[in-house]
Amino acid sequence: MNEQILSVGIDIGTSTTQLVFSNITIENMASSFTVPRIVIVDKKVIYKSRIIFTPLLSDNKIDMEKIEEFVNQEYENAGIQKKDIQTGAVIITGETARRENANDVLQTLSGFAGDFVVATAGPDLESIIAAKGAGMHVFSEEHSTSVINIDIGGGTSNLAYLNKGEVIDTGCLDIGGRLIKIDPGSKKVTYISPKIKELIKERNLKVEEGKTTSCEQLQPIINEMVQIIEQSVGMETTSSFYHQAITHKGLQPQAKAKYLSFTGGVADSIYNESDEDPFKFGDIGILLGKAIRQSMLMSAFNIITPAETIRATVVGAGTHTTEISGSTITYTDGLFPLKNLPVLKIAKEEETLDARLLSETIQKKLDWFKVDGNIENVAVAFCGKLNPSFREIQWYAEGLLDGMESLLTKRFPMVIITEQDIAKVLGQTIYAKIGYPIDLICIDGIHVENGDYIDIGYPVADGSVLPVVIKTLVFH
Amino acid sequence: MVNETELKSLIANILKDMVGDEKEEKQKIEVQGAEQLVCLDCEEACLEDITEFDIKKQLLVPEPEDKEGYLKMKEKTPARIGVWRAGPRYKTVTSLRFRADHAAAQDAVFSHVSEEFVEKNGLIPFQTLCQSKDEYLTRPDLGRQFSDEMVQKMKDVCGKPTVQLVVGDGLSSAAIEANMEDILPAIKQGLKMYGIDINNIMFVKYCRVPAMDVIGEATDADVVCLLVGERPGLVTAESMSAYIAYKPTVDMPEARRTVVSNIHKGGTSPVEAGAHIAEVIKKMIDKKASGIDLKN
Repeated sequence: MNEQILSVGIDIGTSTTQLVFSNITIENMASSFTVPRIVIVDKKVIYKSRIIFTPLLSDNKIDMEKIEEFVNQEYENAGIQKKDIQTGAVIITGETARRENANDVLQTLSGFAGDFVVATAGPDLESIIAAKGAGMHVFSEEHSTSVINIDIGGGTSNLAYLNKGEVIDTGCLDIGGRLIKIDPGSKKVTYISPKIKELIKERNLKVEEGKTTSCEQLQPIINEMVQIIEQSVGMETTSSFYHQAITHKGLQPQAKAKYLSFTGGVADSIYNESDEDPFKFGDIGILLGKAIRQSMLMSAFNIITPAETIRATVVGAGTHTTEISGSTITYTDGLFPLKNLPVLKIAKEEETLDARLLSETIQKKLDWFKVDGNIENVAVAFCGKLNPSFREIQWYAEGLLDGMESLLTKRFPMVIITEQDIAKVLGQTIYAKIGYPIDLICIDGIHVENGDYIDIGYPVADGSVLPVVIKTLVFH
Repeated sequence: MVNETELKSLIANILKDMVGDEKEEKQKIEVQGAEQLVCLDCEEACLEDITEFDIKKQLLVPEPEDKEGYLKMKEKTPARIGVWRAGPRYKTVTSLRFRADHAAAQDAVFSHVSEEFVEKNGLIPFQTLCQSKDEYLTRPDLGRQFSDEMVQKMKDVCGKPTVQLVVGDGLSSAAIEANMEDILPAIKQGLKMYGIDINNIMFVKYCRVPAMDVIGEATDADVVCLLVGERPGLVTAESMSAYIAYKPTVDMPEARRTVVSNIHKGGTSPVEAGAHIAEVIKKMIDKKASGIDLKN
C-alpha cells in the first residue's frame, strides 16, 4: 500500500519568485503482522515553474496581485487544481521578508494556494529548507560527514551546518547579489542597500546611487563580501563588518565542515564560468559569484555541486517541510487543518512522572503564552518515556489534564505532541479520565522545540497518520 | 584422504586451540580488561552481568574507521554485528552472551507461568489436553483442544461476551509475565471507551493459537483476542503476539486471524500495543470481519 500526497512549494525571495509541485509518497513499512509504521519513502519534484522577478509596487510593498496571477498561471500550466493540493509551504525569504506587507502576503497566499498550505518565514527555517532542498542532509548522512550549505540569494546568504544528516546550526548574513542594483544599459547604480552604504562610507569608496559604475569600482565591495563569507565559515577571524552583516546570528565558531556547497541565484555563477555581461541581471550577482569562485573558499573546503541551486529553497519548501506523525495516535475527527499553534515544550529535565509537578510546570509555562491575561490555544510537547508502564501513562494523563485546564475550560482542542511512541494509549487514557467528549489530538514521533509553531493537516493513509509542518513565523 | 594419525594430530591441535592454549589465555585477559569491573571496593569483586548490556550499543571493533557511523548502523538492528573476533572465532564476551541469550530463550519455553501470577491478575485458569511441557512441545494437536469439562467450564464462567480476552502461555511464559500487567489495562481502557466491558479473562496453560477457535465456539463471543507468548529468539525471550479473530471457528482458514506481533520492550511497547489492539477489536465488531477480510 502506498499513497501519494501532492505538495506545493512557493518561494518569494528578494529577487525571484518560484513554485514547484512535488509528490510525497508514504507507505506502511511494517509487515501485516505488526503495528503499522507509515513513513515517507519518496519525495519527487514533478513540476518546476518559471522563475520570475519578485514583483514589487512602487512603495516597496510586494505586489500581491501579480504574485496571485503568477501562481494561478503556474497551477494552470501544471494542470493541477487547488483542491488536489494536500500540503505545502509558502516561504518568504531574504529582504522580501522585511517588507511592510510580508505577513499579509504570506497569510493570503497560503490560503490562496491550497487548504493546507502553510505560511513560513524566518532566516533559520530558510537556511534549513535551502540545505535540504539541495539534498545536503542526505549527502552528509550518506558520506557520514559535515557540510555547510550557503544559500546566496538577492538579499541574504543563509548558512546551514549539517553533520551526518542532522542540521546542527544555522546563520544568516546580509550578503546577496541584489544589494547593489545596476542598470544593464547605462551602468548606472539604481539601488544600494543601507548596510552596503555604510560599508562604502567606512571604506571611502566611490560607488553611489545614480552614478555610473564599473567592475573595477565595485570590486573592493565584492571582495569585502567574499571575506565576510570566508569569516562566516570559520576561515578567518571575524571583522567588525562581519558582525554588522549578520542578519540575526551567524554560525557558531565550532561549526567546522569538511564540505561546502552553494545554492541560491548566485550559486550558478560560482559553479559555471561564463563571459557574459556581468550586469546582465542588473545586479552584482555575477561578479559576486565569480569572486567566490576565485577565492580561498574553493581550496579550503571540498566543494560539492548540489542537485538544485537557484531552486533549492523552493524545492525544500515543497518537499521537506511536511513530516508525518507516528502511526498509532489518537485524534478527534473534524478538527483539521489546525494552523499556527504555538508549542510549549517541557524540557527533558523537567519531565516528571509526578502528576502534580508536571501540572505545575505546564501551568507556569502557559503564563508565557498569555497576552493581556488572555490565552490562545497551545500545543504541549514532551519527549516521553521509552516503554512506560500503564500506571506511568495514567500519571502523564493526570498531569496534562490538570496542567492544561485553563485551555480546556475555553473548549480549545487539547493538542499533545510526544517523541516516544505513546500517543495512542495516552490519548485513550485522557479520553477515559475526562469522562466527557473533548476535542483531542495526541500524536507522537514528532520533535519540536519551544518557539516552534505547528500546523496539522487532514489525516492520510486511511486516517492512520497526520501530516505535520513545524515552522517558525518570526519576522525580524 | 586423511589417515588416522593425521586426523588425531588435527583433533589434538583443535583441542589445544580450544582449551588452555597460551594465546587463548591472553585473549581472556584482554577481554576482562576491556570489561569494566564494577564494585571494585566490594569485598568480593564481581563481573558485570553481560546480559545487561544493550547489544545495539556494544561495539567491540577495536579501532573502527568511523565509530559513530558504525554505532548508527547498529542502532537499527539487534543483529550481532561489530563483534570483532579472536583469531577466527567470536570473542569470549560474544560467545558468553550468545549462550546466555540462548539459555534465556530455552528457559522461557520450559518454564511455567506461575499460579500466583494467574491469580494476582484475576485470570481464570484453563488447560488444554496437554499434561506436561514435553507433551505440549511434541503434540501441537493437543495444544489446541480442550476436554469436555473445560469447554463446559468456559460456557459456565464466560457466558456470551462481546469480546473474550484470553491469555495463553504459548512458547514463552516469560513474555506473559513481562507484558501482561501493562497490556491488559490498556486494552480494557481502550474498549471501555467504545462501551465494551471486559470480564472473565481466561488463562490457558499449554496453549497453541487455534485453542482460541474452540473458545470462540464455546463462548459465542463476537471477537476472541488471544495474547500468547511468541517462540523466543536470541533478541528477546519476552516477545508476545495478539491473535484476534471475529467469531473464530475450529478449522477456519488462518487468513481470518489478525496478528499484532513483536510486543515487548524493544518492539511495540505493551501499553501502546494494547491501545492499538482495542481499536482493532472495535473495527472488527463494526465490520464483522477479521484477518484478510478486514483489510478489504
